Amino acid sequence: MELEKLRETAAEIAARDDVKYLIGWKKGSYGYRVAPAFAEDAEGASDFIFSPLCTANLATYLTLVEKLPLPRGQEPDKRKVALMVKGCDSRAVTQLLVEKGIHREEVIIIGCPCPGMVDPDLLNKKYPETEETAELKWDNDGFVIVRDGEETKVPREELLDEKCQLCRYPNPVVSDIMLDDPVKAWEPVEDEGVKEIEEKAVEGRWDYWQQEFSNCIRCYSCRNVCPLCYCQDCILDRQNPDWVYRSVNFSENTAFNIARAFHLAGRCIECGECERVCPANIPLGKINRKLAREVRDKYGFEPGLDPDAEPFQASYKPDDPEDFIL
Amino acid sequence: MTDKPKIGVYICHCGINIASTVDVETVEEYALKLPNVEVARTYSYMCSDPGQALIKEDIKEQGLNRIVVASCSPRMHETTFRKAIQETGLNPYFLEMANIREQCSWVHEETEEATAKAKKLITASVAKVRLLEALESKEVDAEPAALVIGAGIAGIQAALDIADAGFKTYLVEKTPSVGGRMAQLDKTFPTLDCSACILTPKMVDCASHPNIELLSYSEVEEINGFIGNFDIKVRKKARYVDFDKCTGCGDCAKECRVADRFPSEFDQGMGNRSAIYLPFPQAVPAKYTIDPENCLYLKRGKCGKDPKCQEVCGAGAIDFDQQDEFVEFKVGAIIVATGFDPFNPSRKPEYGYDDYPNVITGMEMERLVSASGPTGGKVLINNGEEEIEPKEVAFIKCVGSRDESVGNEYCSRVCCMYTAKQAHLIREKLPDANIRIYYMDVRAFGKGYEEFYDRVRRENVRYIRGNPSEIFKRGNKLIVKAENTLTSTPVEDEVDLVVLGVGLEPRAEMREIMDLLRLSQSGDRFFLEAHPKLRPVDTATEGVYLAGCCQGPKDIPDTVAQAKGAASSAMIPLARGKVTIDAQVAEVNEATCRGCGFCVEICPYTAIEMVTVNRFGHEIEVARVNEALCKGCGSCSAACLSDSVQPKSFRDRQILPQIAALGVIK
Amino acid sequence: MSANNEPNIVAFLCNWCSYAGADLAGTSRVQYPSNINVIRVMCTGRINPLFVVNALQQGADGVLVSGCHPGDCHYMEGNYFARRRLGMLKDLLEYVGVDPRRFHMSWVSASEGHKWKEVVEKTVEDAREARSYEGFRRRQIDW
Ligand SMILES: Cc1cc2nc3c(=O)[nH]c(=O)nc-3n(C[C@H](O)[C@H](O)[C@H](O)COP(=O)(O)OP(=O)(O)OC[C@H]3O[C@@H](n4cnc5c(N)ncnc54)[C@H](O)[C@@H]3O)c2cc1C
Ligand code: SF4
Ligand code: SF4
Ligand code: SF4
Ligand code: SF4
Ligand code: SF4
Ligand code: SF4
Repeated sequence: MELEKLRETAAEIAARDDVKYLIGWKKGSYGYRVAPAFAEDAEGASDFIFSPLCTANLATYLTLVEKLPLPRGQEPDKRKVALMVKGCDSRAVTQLLVEKGIHREEVIIIGCPCPGMVDPDLLNKKYPETEETAELKWDNDGFVIVRDGEETKVPREELLDEKCQLCRYPNPVVSDIMLDDPVKAWEPVEDEGVKEIEEKAVEGRWDYWQQEFSNCIRCYSCRNVCPLCYCQDCILDRQNPDWVYRSVNFSENTAFNIARAFHLAGRCIECGECERVCPANIPLGKINRKLAREVRDKYGFEPGLDPDAEPFQASYKPDDPEDFIL
Repeated sequence: MTDKPKIGVYICHCGINIASTVDVETVEEYALKLPNVEVARTYSYMCSDPGQALIKEDIKEQGLNRIVVASCSPRMHETTFRKAIQETGLNPYFLEMANIREQCSWVHEETEEATAKAKKLITASVAKVRLLEALESKEVDAEPAALVIGAGIAGIQAALDIADAGFKTYLVEKTPSVGGRMAQLDKTFPTLDCSACILTPKMVDCASHPNIELLSYSEVEEINGFIGNFDIKVRKKARYVDFDKCTGCGDCAKECRVADRFPSEFDQGMGNRSAIYLPFPQAVPAKYTIDPENCLYLKRGKCGKDPKCQEVCGAGAIDFDQQDEFVEFKVGAIIVATGFDPFNPSRKPEYGYDDYPNVITGMEMERLVSASGPTGGKVLINNGEEEIEPKEVAFIKCVGSRDESVGNEYCSRVCCMYTAKQAHLIREKLPDANIRIYYMDVRAFGKGYEEFYDRVRRENVRYIRGNPSEIFKRGNKLIVKAENTLTSTPVEDEVDLVVLGVGLEPRAEMREIMDLLRLSQSGDRFFLEAHPKLRPVDTATEGVYLAGCCQGPKDIPDTVAQAKGAASSAMIPLARGKVTIDAQVAEVNEATCRGCGFCVEICPYTAIEMVTVNRFGHEIEVARVNEALCKGCGSCSAACLSDSVQPKSFRDRQILPQIAALGVIK
Repeated sequence: MSANNEPNIVAFLCNWCSYAGADLAGTSRVQYPSNINVIRVMCTGRINPLFVVNALQQGADGVLVSGCHPGDCHYMEGNYFARRRLGMLKDLLEYVGVDPRRFHMSWVSASEGHKWKEVVEKTVEDAREARSYEGFRRRQIDW
């Protein structure tokens, strides 16, 4: 994607009278960092980028912005929000449309066909970032790392993020403007992470998750970052009834994690954000993807593709599987 | 919670039914120690008057505000104890029952086990009862009037019954005349009454009945509200004939410049009508209607020098400026009686219905044998070359029924009998004709049906078991190709006339009614009843009932029976003058609702809608429950991720403590 | 599991079919294990799948959900919704290592008193055999 074209389009949109702001990515404060950015005018969009480091799913911001009480008589700002999306992000937007979290006319969607992101942890481990100008680009068959002006070519497989290896929709499924021609979708690899757990006996699975969930510090980052966890009053915060107690222990952590994952069943669009932000490195993706796969294989349903779809959890088919019933 | 819970626990011996297995004294002692329990008692029969009096006294004297009755199933006596509590002035919904008979003493013989379980069940009830809320069931007035949609025999009968009971009834019919399909029939099986003779008086009655407002050539446009209080808007289509002035003389139709040019719907296209027409001689109301599709003047603005009808109408009834009119009214109940469509055999091209004029449907046959039909009752057909009296006649049954290839797996229930009837009528008119009926099975299930079938067989009508695969023409004959499955021999049958025993299908335009009334379809695509066995005339929408073939194929006796059933059901709210709105309904917490609409998708009774509310200056959408439609099933609440919609008395915060209580005590 | 090693089962039953079926078992004096403790709801559609998780956390050794057979739901569709939700939950629980024998779902109609007994026996038996998962127990349960 031409950086020039991106910035030109971004500036144009950010400058529009009917646009409140444009959400995109820009370079962060140091090293490889990339930060979400809000541009209210052309100037603000002049340093927007799209690179293999733009992992953050910006769709979260569509619902995150609080609707603060307005002084009497003041009209709410009803201008549109413009948003840059990758394939996975666009599915979050679509799912938000299904769930009426946003309305189509409230957003302008700028599609970024996505050749795949790098795994930031892996990248840093193998090619430690430098203070000044660490950057990443795509080239034909891999990534190019630019550190202190020096380029290193890396094959795609080496650094491609797990979620991207598994990605089935790298091209935005909904957009108003596309910044580039669609990329050619690749054959998703087998989901080794999920398979590995499936292959364990039930005891092994319990032990595995017991280990993982014990590390959870109940920071709720996974929920907060998720574009689809936008309930003003999440049941996991409630005290009456208290579905989960506040205490951080294995019992409550497990209940919390099951509840969170279950609430995303048939809704999670596998953007991987929850796992990325988890400070305890809990492989949340392995739960989400497992459920997503069950939903797809057993129920023939994939969220975030059709804005007019019936929500998975609020529908049924007469021939849904029932082999588990006694 | 307003006041501190003061709970009374009442443990029933049920004679020895409970007490012989459960150690009720121990349970009583145990219950007294539970939090908030002020009183615990045992008694031989809690449901008896003295038993109930015990509870009432304690409520009054000890100031109890929550009651747990540990006895039989709540399905048995919940209402009894609610009433008792209510008599003291306490809210009847402050009751929880512990089922220690059906689900305890009767199923566990060991005293130790049964006693332990009774304790647990009571603990769970105590846990829940503390958190119950006061509920009020509301009564709202019901409009003492009904709407009947569709004026076939089903709608006519239902309207007459309701009107006879003294309620105002609006009967809306889409076509210019009432009567429906039955009006098209010649004679009716099994008694061979002439259809017109038994139907016409009812048609006339419903037009003249002081309590019936007949809205013919009209369609329902809008329906809002709920049982007891539906707001209806009906479009009266323009007839271009002044209803009051038209005397029904018919001079206009005779003189119409395009007289007898257009296929008559009533005669199944076998006869013609003019652009201004009366569908059939006995039509009610006997008022002419101009068909705007075919009238020269309405189509092109010009009909000769002056429109002919206008010229000849002595009453001056023709009015080309007429517009559609709207009428609005309120009713308390609605009956849907929109009937059926005959199966269109073009969908089975192998039978050549579109190719050969002497392949006709059963419906066309009705018109052909009718004295008022296009041939004056003579069985005359065109074999492609000339008009003849057929010598060889074949009927084929189950056309479009019991046939997965056309998507109809059901039996149409009338074709067996009407083909037998028509065979009999042809036999009367053509004593020498050879008549055979191709069939898969003969289902003569109704009163007098088997006898009638026997009679027809004795009249030298041959029944050949086999489903024809093809019909084609050879010379001036039709060849019916089939296999006789009884003798396993192939058949190539030369005939002059083939009558297709077409089945009954849901009305093509039923979608409109479905959307208006939020009705569903069953697997066969007819309207879905509330329960296939126990509520066959009700629908999921309370106050809306089904009658006749719109619910599924039926003969006239069943149609009339169902119409009468629907009428009496519809009259319940009308006669009471009130409808009770259940207290145990769902409620939305608008402050936490995220507006996703999952609950709206889920609710089987479409009791939830999204409304826009203003929250601190922002317009947001939230769910709202229509209490009159909600049945309290709670399906919405399990789908609501933010737990914002909850059924009263079965809220999460009432159930989770129950779960906890069962977990703590061992 | 309690001291006497008897599993504690929490069952969620719909009012119209399974609860009535359990009542019928009573009227017919069918005997079955007393480990089962029923919570009545109006419809299986009401059963929030997290009830099951919550019951396991709050001391149930096994959980049973039972409702009307498909097509027989008093509210027409509630059991279809329940089947989908609880089927998903079952997959999830198994995946995180909760012994699948700890959670069952069944269709028991108002006329199936005997089937109710079989379902209870199976549920109790399975919970008895299921692998311990004590760590999941809530430390302190209050109600
Ligand atoms: C060929 C044939 C022969 C038959 N012979 C016999 C027989 O001998 N004996 C017997 O018992 N049964 C017989 N039947 C069955 C009989 O015709 C039906 O049982 C009966 O007509 C059903 O009546 P109904 O009122 O339910 O439907 P219909 O007669 O179809 O009446 C429905 C009415 O509703 C009106 N309508 C439809 N939609 C709307 C709308 N949206 N708004 C307003 N009005 C609307 C229609 O115009 C129509 O007037 C026969 C059926 C067929 C096909
Ligand atoms: S999951 Fe797909 S769309 Fe999302 S970042 Fe990876 S490759 Fe791009
Ligand atoms: S982000 Fe990780 S640590 Fe934080 S609550 Fe979620 S799972 Fe637990
Ligand atoms: S659950 Fe995780 S992967 Fe799924 S949509 Fe939310 S943040 Fe993305
Ligand atoms: S976890 Fe559930 S309740 Fe909480 S925000 Fe996410 S979807 Fe909403
Ligand atoms: S499901 Fe819950 S959050 Fe969604 S609209 Fe209904 S009440 Fe509101
Ligand atoms: S409780 Fe049942 S009937 Fe009432 S609104 Fe919810 S889903 Fe509809």
